[in-house]
Amino acid sequence: MTAHQVDAFRFSGRLIKKLVLEEIDAAAPVQSIPWVAPIKPLSQSRVALLTTAGISMQDDAPFDMDGERANPNWGDPSWRKIRADASGNTIAVNHLHIDTGYIERDINVALPLQRLADLADAGVIASSAPNHYSIMGFQGHDSSTLENVSGPEIAEAMRAEAVDLVLLAPV
Amino acid sequence: MIWEFQRAVGMPRVAAIEHPFGRPYGEVDDAATQTAALRAALDVFDKARQPGHVEHLEFVWHEDPRKTRWHPPIPAPIIGYMRERGLI
Repeated sequence: MTAHQVDAFRFSGRLIKKLVLEEIDAAAPVQSIPWVAPIKPLSQSRVALLTTAGISMQDDAPFDMDGERANPNWGDPSWRKIRADASGNTIAVNHLHIDTGYIERDINVALPLQRLADLADAGVIASSAPNHYSIMGFQGHDSSTLENVSGPEIAEAMRAEAVDLVLLAPV
Repeated sequence: MIWEFQRAVGMPRVAAIEHPFGRPYGEVDDAATQTAALRAALDVFDKARQPGHVEHLEFVWHEDPRKTRWHPPIPAPIIGYMRERGLI
């Protein structure tokens, strides 16, 4: 019996599939993969979520869409904290590559904060982190600021809140 | 997510799911699917024994992909840029 394999391009169409696979095939081979085995069971772990959906709290600066419109090869490399009690009423979603309406109606489709809180209440995880995180997934040709500045800053913020596990769900 | 990026990026562990862009955990107001997808992703922390593990989750999107809308109302700026230069 053939093992199930996800078709990542089922919804994207042939053009996106072609462009993405060309980019993947042109990339240098992966030399090493970062790896740390979990040191606690899930039920004893604090979990944080990270999204690439360009979500920000309404009382925070939104991700810069005008910058991307002015330079189509640039994406905002900054990051935002998203409070654990955030909902569609308290966030802004800025992303030029997806229909953001779904997230605005239900943040859980991309950043399942309420679902994670439910798992904590049920004892599946120890707790949901007080804060979660968003970046802008599109970075054009240069992701160096995201990798070398924002990424470490997010990691440090998570360490300060004793996060054990992080789930990154790209949109 | 596009799990094939594993070949280019090298992620510690991946939970691949066949959901449209913008809704990786499931449909609006579908708490059951969102919770199940979240649980399945968290379970990969225990299942993955080696770096680069890809777990192919068996979720089926609720509608025909040809009818699923995920595109932005206006094409992203990079699309216009590439069209102007004959790249697409």
